[in-house]
Amino acid sequence: MSKTGVYICHCGENIAGSVDIGDVVNFAATLPGVAVSREYLFMCSDPGQELIRQDIEDGLVDRVVVAACTPRTHEPIFRKTLEDGGLNPYLFEMANIRDQDSWAHWGDREGATQKARRLIASAVAKANLLRPLEQRYVEVQKSALVVGAGVSGMFAALDLAGMGCKVWLLDRNPSIGGNMAKLDKTFPTNDCSACILTPIMVQAANHPNIELLAYSEVEAVNGSIGNFNVTVRKKQTYIDWDKCTGCGDCVTACLGKTANEFNDGLDNRKALYIAFPQAVPKRAVLDPDNCINCAGSHIGQEHKISPKTGEPMPAPCEKACKTGACDRTKAFAPEGEKFDINVGAIIAAAGYRSMPKEPFKEYSPDSPNVITCMQLERILSATGPTDGEFHRPSDGKKPKTVAFISCVGSRDKNHHIYCSKVCCMYMLKEARLIKEKYPETVIYIFFIDVRTPGKDFEEYYNYCREMGIKIIRGRVGAVDQLPGDSLRVRAYDVDLERPVTLNADLVALATAMEPAGGLEELGRTLGITCGPEGFLKELHTKLYPVETSVKGIYIAGCVQGPKDIPESVSQSRAASSAAAVPLMAGRVPVEPFSSTVDQEKCSGCGICVPLCPYSAISREETGGKIRAGIDIALCAGCGVCAAACPSLAITLQGFTADQIFAQIDALTSVAGGGPID
Amino acid sequence: MKVGFFIGCNTAFNRPDLEQAVRFSLPHLGVEIDDLEGQSCCPSWGTMPSVDLAGWSAVSARNLSLAEEKELDIVTVCGSCYGSLAETRHSLQKDPELKEKVNGILKELGREYRGTADIYQSVGYLYKIVGLDKIGPSLKYNLAGLKVALQPGCHTLWPSKIYVDREEDSFHPHILQDACRALGADIVNYSRLTDCCGMGGMRSADMERSFNLLGVKLRSIKSEADPDLIVTGCSSCLIQIDTAQAPLNKDGRINFRIPVLHYMQLLALCQGAEPEKVAGLAKTGLSGVINKIRGDASV
Amino acid sequence: MTNESAEILVFDISAGEPGFVAEIKELGGREILECIQCGKCASVCPMALAGFPVFNKKLFHAIVLRGREMLLEDSSIWACQSCNRCTEICPKDVRPFEIILAMRRVAVREYAVPALATDGLKSLYDVGHAVYLKESGNTRKKVGLPEKPPSTISYPEALKELQAILRKTALADIGLIPMGGSGVADSCEV
Repeated sequence: MSKTGVYICHCGENIAGSVDIGDVVNFAATLPGVAVSREYLFMCSDPGQELIRQDIEDGLVDRVVVAACTPRTHEPIFRKTLEDGGLNPYLFEMANIRDQDSWAHWGDREGATQKARRLIASAVAKANLLRPLEQRYVEVQKSALVVGAGVSGMFAALDLAGMGCKVWLLDRNPSIGGNMAKLDKTFPTNDCSACILTPIMVQAANHPNIELLAYSEVEAVNGSIGNFNVTVRKKQTYIDWDKCTGCGDCVTACLGKTANEFNDGLDNRKALYIAFPQAVPKRAVLDPDNCINCAGSHIGQEHKISPKTGEPMPAPCEKACKTGACDRTKAFAPEGEKFDINVGAIIAAAGYRSMPKEPFKEYSPDSPNVITCMQLERILSATGPTDGEFHRPSDGKKPKTVAFISCVGSRDKNHHIYCSKVCCMYMLKEARLIKEKYPETVIYIFFIDVRTPGKDFEEYYNYCREMGIKIIRGRVGAVDQLPGDSLRVRAYDVDLERPVTLNADLVALATAMEPAGGLEELGRTLGITCGPEGFLKELHTKLYPVETSVKGIYIAGCVQGPKDIPESVSQSRAASSAAAVPLMAGRVPVEPFSSTVDQEKCSGCGICVPLCPYSAISREETGGKIRAGIDIALCAGCGVCAAACPSLAITLQGFTADQIFAQIDALTSVAGGGPID
Repeated sequence: MKVGFFIGCNTAFNRPDLEQAVRFSLPHLGVEIDDLEGQSCCPSWGTMPSVDLAGWSAVSARNLSLAEEKELDIVTVCGSCYGSLAETRHSLQKDPELKEKVNGILKELGREYRGTADIYQSVGYLYKIVGLDKIGPSLKYNLAGLKVALQPGCHTLWPSKIYVDREEDSFHPHILQDACRALGADIVNYSRLTDCCGMGGMRSADMERSFNLLGVKLRSIKSEADPDLIVTGCSSCLIQIDTAQAPLNKDGRINFRIPVLHYMQLLALCQGAEPEKVAGLAKTGLSGVINKIRGDASV
Repeated sequence: MTNESAEILVFDISAGEPGFVAEIKELGGREILECIQCGKCASVCPMALAGFPVFNKKLFHAIVLRGREMLLEDSSIWACQSCNRCTEICPKDVRPFEIILAMRRVAVREYAVPALATDGLKSLYDVGHAVYLKESGNTRKKVGLPEKPPSTISYPEALKELQAILRKTALADIGLIPMGGSGVADSCEV
């Protein structure tokens, strides 16, 4: 006969405010199998836990029920308490009389107390039948996949690689570097972005433990923490990257053109292109949708023969290539190459997308001189479409008056309800960069609120004001096109208390930081959800910002929500640190709740096999008979098989049939607290 | 093709020449007009909408039911009528409780509002339902490059979500522009296209300020576009621009006059209607424009 | 030198009328508390551009600060053009125009209505049109139309119907205009 100890927590006011603790303590003492019934203000505190430990050591109890808050957060604490007392940690059952009772029925003291009685009776009934279980462990591969090779992904990869893990660093673009590679200078230090980023890119590319998977996508993810099986698809580059030296001659020779994504559409790139001058890896890629098949050359076909010379005619790009990397006659598979990798943990650092200007009709987005701030960043950058010269798109003239508009698409019910966090600072930054180079430029920034809370940010803001950059609080309602490519900006100045109008040569829109394209699908592939705004969801906003609902998968950087570079790097290093815990430990504990088959009772009918969502069951031959066999590594302890088995041959450890029936009895019987109406 | 013509107060009593223009031009495009007998004020913004939502909806729904019982849609020439009727239709669609309340009032009079009638503004109707390609064949005269500046009118643009004939980009509208081009006009642009003309509640509240606002707009039109004619899609804009130029000239706020017509008037003239009938009540002289259109010396 | 017309302009927030925001919400301005005073509506509002003191943005803030008295003394809201440009661009979908209408509805219930608006309502009830010009018969004849348009002017039964409807609305409860017998009355000039 078991000796169950019942410990009821006041949880401060959280439970005691609604449930009559005294009544419940007395009631619990009357339940069959209960040896002691105690109460305490905070069971999870040291003295609270000591109550349990002491009772175990004194031999008073050999099963423990704690009636308190949620097992989600506190079960591990109490299991440890049992272990410290010398009892198997799985001889423990928790009754949630806070979330499921006190909080839900706040104000109904009578009802809440009755319910608490039943919940405790149920927990006691199960506790009486608990058996000791052994902790399971799963081995963890000492390798990781980092999805996204921007600044966040690269730092995460470098940390893990530095710890001796093998890291696959994947990015869907031909080069690593992400959005940060597009920036000119970065606040608050005004470091040249490429200068501080390129060393990281090179480090990541050269690290012996890092394997770059550029121009690749994640197709499928199976398995669980310690053992993720990931199918990667390396997209087709149509160039032999082993031979390509990144010289760029083929790019010069190429005649196909399309809008250049790296410059946000401000200029064109060729169909054969290298992502940007500091690209890592520096290799050419063919974009087949924009290839115009010069010289009648088609991929995978032999060259046409020249009627004049009788010789084969290679395409201009092939002619220009000196290493033979560009060879269009090869039979390239258009979908690229798929292969599998096995990793212990995954970090998603897929970055963000800068929202385009087209939806904002009131700002005349069709005008070439109305641009997004990311486009302005490209104009200011030395590797951009104007070689860093401050020229406006329509006529190449240097703008004399520039207006910035904040919150375009952010803080906006019609687009994104959130604040994109970085725009106030980057508008100030871009204004400052322009003003430093061309002091005679008159610059106005139209804010709703000026949000500059980070380290050194207020000082940055003050400096900008002192430079003569004009800050106006009040939104812009319209941008009209004037003759001569000029623009009329119409705003309301809150501090002047009047509508104001301004003629500008260039208008820059601080458009929202949006989830990267395809993020929802990536989330689904990984098995983690997106929040309502479309970013990947962390496990707990305050306490577990880099973990997700899937153990072993972490998130870092803007994939989780808008943030600047300092925060992205902090978060990415937090993610690698969190991922390192299982990776370095080499194994992770897994709850021992798995199903086992009683070979005597099993008839080999096979009903359980297709029902298992984790494909853990198979019919095997044992001793000449066909019986069901469960792979413990795959079993997740869902219990479907145990419920379905017609011979009751399968037992889910920790949730046995007799335990569950006892709970049902306790919940519904008179002794449990009264009849159900 | 048949449509219910919602005339509205200002057109019926102040500029009935515009009414005549509609009665001339639509049949010439194969559209039969139904008078929606017994129609009342839409109701205009300064009346029932300023008193009570349910009351406004009930009066408006009664007008809409006149078209519904004949299974017709409604076309209007006045921006305010268009807006008041369309907003009611939208509210009753979104709020079933309100619809029930309104139908409760209408029921006792043997009426019911079902929500089957669509509301169009005249130019939007031509664009979406009739088709601008029908206009050319119906014309007797072509504008032959007459320089035209446009005044779509606020109500034909906003709130764009509720209109069935809305513009895709209400800040860069093109429906009136396309319709004028179908007459052979040469459109001249100006940067204050979507600015309000000042007619409406403001003109009643403070005519001085209303005219000031119009002055800014007219000066922009003159200096940037310098058109032969202003064409508007709204009868309120028509009245404002037509009647305000004299007082504006008088105190020197502008020193020019630009004739103005509603699109339906211009259409009727190009289809050969008598100028007296369809444009005879204009205060700002039209003879020059009419001569250009008809090519004859007398008017 | 003293300036006799100088007033103390300090607005006493503590003296605000409780229940005012609820009243506005009740009368149609349901989303007023979602406004963050960004100013986008004010930048393009014809009222603000023409110089009226209480335009959309200011009105909303004054309502939230419960300045009912102050607002009833100002007639700017009757200059709203109902253009709805504010509705089109508001990032919080506050439907600014509806809030202005809500404020007008508050004013009507307090009889704080400009004469022109009252006349319009009276004309609506008496003849079925907010605007009716006596000499319109001649104007219409001049362009070749029948003297009376096919509206409530020509159809007394229709006018009776309209009046019956109006009598069932809040207009009747408010008692701003006489709503007794019907009949084509005098004109209301604009």
